[in-house]
Amino acid sequence: MADKSTIARPYAKALFGVALEHKKLGPWAQTLALSAEVVSDERMKKVLASPLIAPAQLADVLLEILDAAAPGGLDEQGRNFIRTLAANRRLGLLPEIAALFGRLKAEWENTADVTVISAVPLDETLQRRYAEAMEKRLRRQVRLHCKVDPAVLGGAVLRADDLVIDGSLRGRLERLAAEVGQ
Amino acid sequence: MAIKASEISDLIKSRIEKFQSTTDARNVGTVITVTDGICRVHGLADARYGEMLEFPGNTFGLALNLEQDSVGSVVLGEYKHISEGSTVKTTGRILEVPVGRELLGRVVDSLGNPLDGKGPIKTTKTAPIERVAPGVMHRKSVSQPVQTGYKAIDSMVPIGRGQRELIIGDRQTGKTALAIDTIINQKGSGIKCIYVAIGQKQSSIANVVRKLEEHGAMDHTIVVAASASTPAAMQYIAPYAGCTMGEFFMDNGEDALIIYDDLTKQAWAYRQISLLLKRPPGREAYPGDVFYLHSRLLERSARVNEEYVEKTTQGKVKGKTGSLTGLPVIETQAGDVTAFVPTNVISITDGQIFLEGDLFNAGIRPAMNAGISVSRVGGAAQTDIIKKLGGGIRLALAQYRELAAFSQFASDLDAATRRQLELGVRVTEVMKQKQYAPMSVAEMALTLYAVNNGYMDKVDRKKVVDFEAALQAFARSNHAAALKAINDKPVLKEHEAALKKIIEDFVQTGAY
Repeated sequence: MADKSTIARPYAKALFGVALEHKKLGPWAQTLALSAEVVSDERMKKVLASPLIAPAQLADVLLEILDAAAPGGLDEQGRNFIRTLAANRRLGLLPEIAALFGRLKAEWENTADVTVISAVPLDETLQRRYAEAMEKRLRRQVRLHCKVDPAVLGGAVLRADDLVIDGSLRGRLERLAAEVGQ
Repeated sequence: MAIKASEISDLIKSRIEKFQSTTDARNVGTVITVTDGICRVHGLADARYGEMLEFPGNTFGLALNLEQDSVGSVVLGEYKHISEGSTVKTTGRILEVPVGRELLGRVVDSLGNPLDGKGPIKTTKTAPIERVAPGVMHRKSVSQPVQTGYKAIDSMVPIGRGQRELIIGDRQTGKTALAIDTIINQKGSGIKCIYVAIGQKQSSIANVVRKLEEHGAMDHTIVVAASASTPAAMQYIAPYAGCTMGEFFMDNGEDALIIYDDLTKQAWAYRQISLLLKRPPGREAYPGDVFYLHSRLLERSARVNEEYVEKTTQGKVKGKTGSLTGLPVIETQAGDVTAFVPTNVISITDGQIFLEGDLFNAGIRPAMNAGISVSRVGGAAQTDIIKKLGGGIRLALAQYRELAAFSQFASDLDAATRRQLELGVRVTEVMKQKQYAPMSVAEMALTLYAVNNGYMDKVDRKKVVDFEAALQAFARSNHAAALKAINDKPVLKEHEAALKKIIEDFVQTGAY
């Protein structure tokens, strides 16, 4: 069985090409995020999985919801994309497509999303310092997202995609435990 | 093992002092599926092939499949605590095992952890389990012998240091017995031995270790055990781990001998891993790279020259060659050597010792088929005395086999044929040897000289074994000095008269 994102990749790439051509990266990202959220809904998942509903009907259902949620958010290309996905029974892949699209967009815009997990909320100066340090390391514009998790104990964990920089007290304690336990 | 509380706190203290806390940046992924010890991990974009991956709970895995969106890895050890969503980190390291002299006398698992309850192994060095074999420029041809202590083998299929000689045969034909006797016979020869047990019963391994201890052979031996109950991944890496431990001695200008018992089971373990990783199955459901699996392992058995040793030891050891002799074992099914793995390993090695069930059951032990057992390079390493005396043995047996088949149809045979048949029978008898009774070069020479020169012609064929035993006992008690002289300088020319004298003395006085 191929990975979900392996199947989603060609769709995301094609869509990115179209969006870039028409200079609509922003609107497309929003539409994808919204539709991903819709198909992730438990009730919607059941509808999508049902073999009783024809692909065309599925597309109509989804388009109706999207129109209601964000009136005028979808142009003809958008509608076509949803219909193509429905025809291939790939509507369930929308979350993966959205994620891959986001990654392609970030790469093109030379930006990166970095999540900082710390034990206490970070103040402005600290946030700026983290952002600067990460910009230097990744050589990209950094969008910083802050999360607070008391389990970190102290320090911070930085996360950008697969890369994790663990400077937390908890991580150090875990490493110490592994070292002593050997 | 009892440790005092104060020792423990000292140990912890030193660990904490040595502990370097650096903020590490690592590639992280999440487990998607866990099936039979195989983990599929999403992410880990920077993982390298064969890299160690760190799972939660101080468990490690090996990255074996690098795919577009995921990494397929085998977990080394227990995997019950790993679940979907567990985080996996790259370590940036290739799998390593401890190496060094401290391992001698110990029983370890595929990762070098002690299994014998004799406490921690205080090695200071580690080495990666996968290594490229020494290149052409670093090698030297085989020129020194490894004495197995078996007349039949040392005379007809001699093994040299650095050679790879396959031991092949059905189950219960004495493959392991041959290997163990070879280890026992290395006592005092300076050759360090590594016995890698793969997919065997724990009881068999315990038995081997006990026998080695009984014969005082554990002091120069490392046992790497991956029994049938250990995960397939551990069985797969066991030979590589053992080989790395052996290479340590080779690199330091010493001689080592490694026995892989057996590679069939290792191929099975690898087949299991490959199928679970969804690699396409080929012949006999083995993956496409099963030849490479064994060739890259056996290629690491080598004899290296003085420059290589000097280079690897940074000039500490000069003017010494190193060697790693490989004795892979392959188990055949109903004597089928044309199966996939046997043909592969036969083509990789420098010869094979073929053990047959029919011979074994007929009481000919070691059950070696002298016709199809060969050693392609060992002849150059054979001692002079055995080489000269053993030449006739091979020929006599070959002619005997030919005539034996032919003589079944003929009622009366001419004198020359009868003589040839009689000699063949005697040679076959004289080649029999008990387990755990390895012979020295001098003892072998004595027996070979006796049978070659017609001293056994008048002995009843059923009495040949007794005759030989009595002759050996006689020589040991009355001519110990002569035997020692032969062992010290095994050249036929110098000792022919002595051999003749021992046998003639025995024929006149000895009883059997």
